[in-house]
Amino acid sequence: MKFRVERDVLADAVAWTARSLPARPAVPVLAGLLLEADGGTLTLSSFDYEVSARVGIEAEVEDEGRILVSGRLLADICRSLPNRPVEVSTDGAKVAVVCGSARFTLPTLPVEDYPALPEMPTAAGSVAGDVFAAAVAQVAIAAGRDDTLPMLTGVRIEIEGDTVTLAATDRYRLAVRTFLWKPDQAGLSSIALVPAKTLNDTAKALTNGDSIQIALAGDKLGEGMIGFEGAGRRTTTRLLEGEFPKYRALFPDGAASVATVETAPFVDAVKRVSLVAERNTPVRLTFSDGRLVLEAGSGDEAQASEALDASLTGDEISIAFNPAFLLDGLSAIDSPVAQLSFTTSTKPAVMTGKPDMDAEATDEYRYLIMPVRLSG
Amino acid sequence: MTVWDDLVGQDRVIAQLRSAAVGARGVLAGEESSGGMTHAWLFTGPPGSGRATAARAFAAALQCVSPDLSLGGEPGCGHCDGCHTSLTGTHADVDVVSTELLSIGVKETRDLVRRAALSPAGGRWQVIVLEDADRLTEGAGNVLLKAIEEPAPRTVWMLCAPSVEDALPTIRSRCRHVALRTPPVAAVADMLMRRDGIDPEMASYAARATGGNIDRARRLATDEQARSRRAEVLGLPLQLGDIGSCMAAAQRLVDAAAADAKEITAELDARETEELRNALGANGPGGRLPSGTAGVVKELENRQKKRATRTQRDCLDLALVDLTAFYRDVLTVQLGAPVPLDNEQVRPSVDRVARAGTPEDTLRRIEAILACREAIDANVAPLLAVEAMALTLRAG
Repeated sequence: MKFRVERDVLADAVAWTARSLPARPAVPVLAGLLLEADGGTLTLSSFDYEVSARVGIEAEVEDEGRILVSGRLLADICRSLPNRPVEVSTDGAKVAVVCGSARFTLPTLPVEDYPALPEMPTAAGSVAGDVFAAAVAQVAIAAGRDDTLPMLTGVRIEIEGDTVTLAATDRYRLAVRTFLWKPDQAGLSSIALVPAKTLNDTAKALTNGDSIQIALAGDKLGEGMIGFEGAGRRTTTRLLEGEFPKYRALFPDGAASVATVETAPFVDAVKRVSLVAERNTPVRLTFSDGRLVLEAGSGDEAQASEALDASLTGDEISIAFNPAFLLDGLSAIDSPVAQLSFTTSTKPAVMTGKPDMDAEATDEYRYLIMPVRLSG
Repeated sequence: MTVWDDLVGQDRVIAQLRSAAVGARGVLAGEESSGGMTHAWLFTGPPGSGRATAARAFAAALQCVSPDLSLGGEPGCGHCDGCHTSLTGTHADVDVVSTELLSIGVKETRDLVRRAALSPAGGRWQVIVLEDADRLTEGAGNVLLKAIEEPAPRTVWMLCAPSVEDALPTIRSRCRHVALRTPPVAAVADMLMRRDGIDPEMASYAARATGGNIDRARRLATDEQARSRRAEVLGLPLQLGDIGSCMAAAQRLVDAAAADAKEITAELDARETEELRNALGANGPGGRLPSGTAGVVKELENRQKKRATRTQRDCLDLALVDLTAFYRDVLTVQLGAPVPLDNEQVRPSVDRVARAGTPEDTLRRIEAILACREAIDANVAPLLAVEAMALTLRAG
């Protein structure tokens, strides 16, 4: 194999691909980066059994070929190369990287032992990279982290025509976000359950492109793969199998009371008050006309309370939440004003964001949170 | 070559797994009937019979992507990309889980449950091979129950254990059972000749002496030192003259086992370390580990250390098994049974011990060896246990 390529192009591609190299490779070859020179393209790939990353760059290919080299080492080398064209060629079991007057020789890894990379699914559409990354971050926050029920560690992606819905829950809260995208074909309908952590990482890694392509495999069993592509960079992620809870029914039909609070002071107050809330004890919120009182701690232990301005329509209500889950929601709505709708103090509350106190709340993002039952 | 080549004397099992692999292809093609394929398998068989080998071969057959398949070939060609990476242990959808520890706990199994819920990367089957299913703690077994009973549609579990009784009843009842037999001596000898090019006499000696344990037979046939250490073990019954010599013999036995273990692990350790360092880029210019990777190497070293401990224990146990085989031969001679001796090459010593005692003595001695194995299993200091055994062997 022999090819020549621009230094910056190579360094960028190697750095990006090396990002998905596993920190603790299950088998040594997974620490390798696969280089495939074919026609006028150099393809770089990495794979950790769950996520694969692949990028194609233009190169002057003299001899076609396929080699595997240590990804960490190649990334370190490319980062420090002078700004001159880079020539890479194999010599037996070694590969030489020559750039200007710098020359490196590194050993290759057994390319025949490298696992086959998953194929990129085809059915697709596109969405702005930053919209997608923001939506994923908003939803992934509610995904479960323990492995007892694997499907709760995933984010469900539902595609119905030009609408995409993301949902995740860990039993105590549920985050749902909808956004519009451009499907390649009208009437596309598909469902996938993607591990939340990898989805979040992938979405972040692709934000530099203007728009990203999302590709889902067909509905056939066992073809569970989702692919993302942005600016020539492609990743695939394995899907989780399993039945996701029927979450739409969890949102209450109407609300007995709706409260509106400015987000920033609310967040500060929750953080302060929850200082005295011991692990797994709630903060209590009491909404009355024009006022929200937060309290935490009880009995002989330390106690705290704080009052805020808030507007309320409907019945007065007193309700308690896990402070960490409440803060997660307040940060995820990503709006200056938070709107909370309640039915009763034992039923879940729904949090949405709006740009100012008088604006209409949008249903684009909804964060459902279970209250903690207060004893006595 | 096919993936089944390493399975010796297990024709019935191979036939069963082959037809299951064909059935699995049907399932992938969307056929209704599963054709002998199912989602959970339990491979049992005595040590060295090739439980894990069978599971890996079956996994490879499930991942076979040979072009011959469309021409009516059988899955499991042994050289396509799918078979090759499955057998070398790098296939994305074949997860071989083994432990260097004495048990597999809840924490490790939870991660398995999560992985089992993923869909396969190659669009075929995701196979999880659990090599030491007998080492699952009860809690860990319970964590797996649900995942084994109703795995994701394309996940296949393959558990390996010495016998059905070693798996929890609740796990056992959720698996299809594949029983491997002790490979016949002739088949083992034949494989040693065919694959490792060992001369017939040595092959048949090694196969007979190790009672059908393929890995040990190969080792014995190829390694001069392993043979001399074995001779040392079998010499023990004649060295039990007085208490002092009993102690010395016990020490030699323990040392021989330790030396055996050291040789096995040293070879493996060096190769693994080299592969990992290469992959991390430590063998490039400078020869230093790139930053942030020292932890991975350290982790490997820790794992190797734990494995060394376990291997040492395993080797001592095998030495005691050899010793049991010797007394079995003594009993054979004493009773005049018309079966071949395991240790024909030390027939003079067998005869001598046989003449010096009664069958009852021999049975008591075999009991003493068993007691010693149990004691070591219960964490008694190995040397102490072997010394106690040597004294009992002397008394008869």
